Amino acid sequence: MEAPPVTVMPVTGGTINMMEYLLQGSVLDQALDSLLHRLRGLCDNMEPETFTDHELVYLLKGQQGNPFILRARRSLSHPTAPWHLRYLGQPEVGDKSRHALVRNCVDVATSHSLPEFLNEMGFRMDHEFVANGHIFRKGAMKVVVTKLSRILVPGNTENIERLSLSYLVELSVLAPAGQDTVSEDMRSFAEQLKPLVHLEKIDPSKQRH
Amino acid sequence: MQREEKQLEASVESLISRVAYVKNALHSFIYKLENEYDRLTWPSVLDNFALLSGQLNTINKLLKNEKTPSYRSQVIIPLLLSPDRDDDLAKLTEQRVPVFSHEIVPDYLRTKPDPEVEEQEKQLSAEAARIGPEVAQKQIQTLNKLCSGLLEKLNNPRDEREAESSALRQNKPSFNPADTNALVGAVAFGKGLSKCRPPGPVAPGLPGQGPLMSGGPTLQQVTIGGGSGQQPSMGGPVSQQQGQPGKMPSSIKTNIKSASGSMHPYNR
Repeated sequence: MEAPPVTVMPVTGGTINMMEYLLQGSVLDQALDSLLHRLRGLCDNMEPETFTDHELVYLLKGQQGNPFILRARRSLSHPTAPWHLRYLGQPEVGDKSRHALVRNCVDVATSHSLPEFLNEMGFRMDHEFVANGHIFRKGAMKVVVTKLSRILVPGNTENIERLSLSYLVELSVLAPAGQDTVSEDMRSFAEQLKPLVHLEKIDPSKQRH
Repeated sequence: MQREEKQLEASVESLISRVAYVKNALHSFIYKLENEYDRLTWPSVLDNFALLSGQLNTINKLLKNEKTPSYRSQVIIPLLLSPDRDDDLAKLTEQRVPVFSHEIVPDYLRTKPDPEVEEQEKQLSAEAARIGPEVAQKQIQTLNKLCSGLLEKLNNPRDEREAESSALRQNKPSFNPADTNALVGAVAFGKGLSKCRPPGPVAPGLPGQGPLMSGGPTLQQVTIGGGSGQQPSMGGPVSQQQGQPGKMPSSIKTNIKSASGSMHPYNR
């Protein structure tokens, strides 16, 4: 298995220097059907896809600075599918000319021994959750409508409790750094989902406390 | 007799000129459709349709006019058929009918529908004869029902639309900004999500864990000394949790301190 990046510096160079452009919003449970209906109309014509994932967030804390975070995800509906390891960089939200949040992003598919490997590396799990929902695509854009559930007994993904009465809605595009035109496309797409959902550039650090 | 003939002639003249107008209009419309389709606008297409429909209406009026003699009672008899090419005829018909022969005359002078139309009609009547009168009645009823339903909808579109939009307005908002923030915080930092405990026996119950944890310990909670190589032997994970006496699993080898204490259990 490939070693995950262990520096806090953004990964640069090569083909892995991809940025994730992100807009977020939410929709109440009772409006979910209208949203799915609209997404089916707006997005690429494909079979509706659903997913149920278990995400574990691992931390590696150095002596100074922010902890290094890796996200491991596995599909509960497809247990034989590879695990998915993801690194997300610090979000850039300050730039007013950009309509979306931009952050460094590295995705790796891994074998099932990922949790043990991360533990050996010194990573420790910070929290976990179950995410299930629907996924849509429109060109390079990805729309994910997710219900988040907290896990009541650690490790038991059967015993869960939903986090809120809303679904999280995320519109994202993976693009090489500097391709800011994608954020324009995302904004016009987000316009079409109003007033059902307001997709916005949300600075996560403001939700921290 | 003389007068009637004159009347007929005059009406045929005017009919020919009207038909010529329609033909010209059709001609220019087809030309536009074929050659200027890329810059043809919808309003101008509608204009062309309106022109055609107006001209057809005039012809209809002309035919229904009292002064127009009934063409139905006029008989046309082909007097001479010839297999040879007739230039005058070709010129008159714009090269469409070059020969006045026994082959084409029955088709051009026929008073019944075109052969293809006749064929279709035959099929339809065969079809109609095949299904029983009961089935036919049923189909008629269904069609009538559909038509009246459609008509009703078309006649009251405004009422329905208004009802719909007012229903939309009455609806509560489809999203809640507070939920958005909570969810974003949850995926970004695990805010409101269960915190992981050290492996081993888990404290039973843990009621009210969610609210307890939300807004409490965040990512800074877990502190480990790994990676620095300072603990070669048993270092392992050291989880540090906020002081919640009674809820902490006690049987495991962890160094538990209150969050207000030092973040790093191993002095450096």
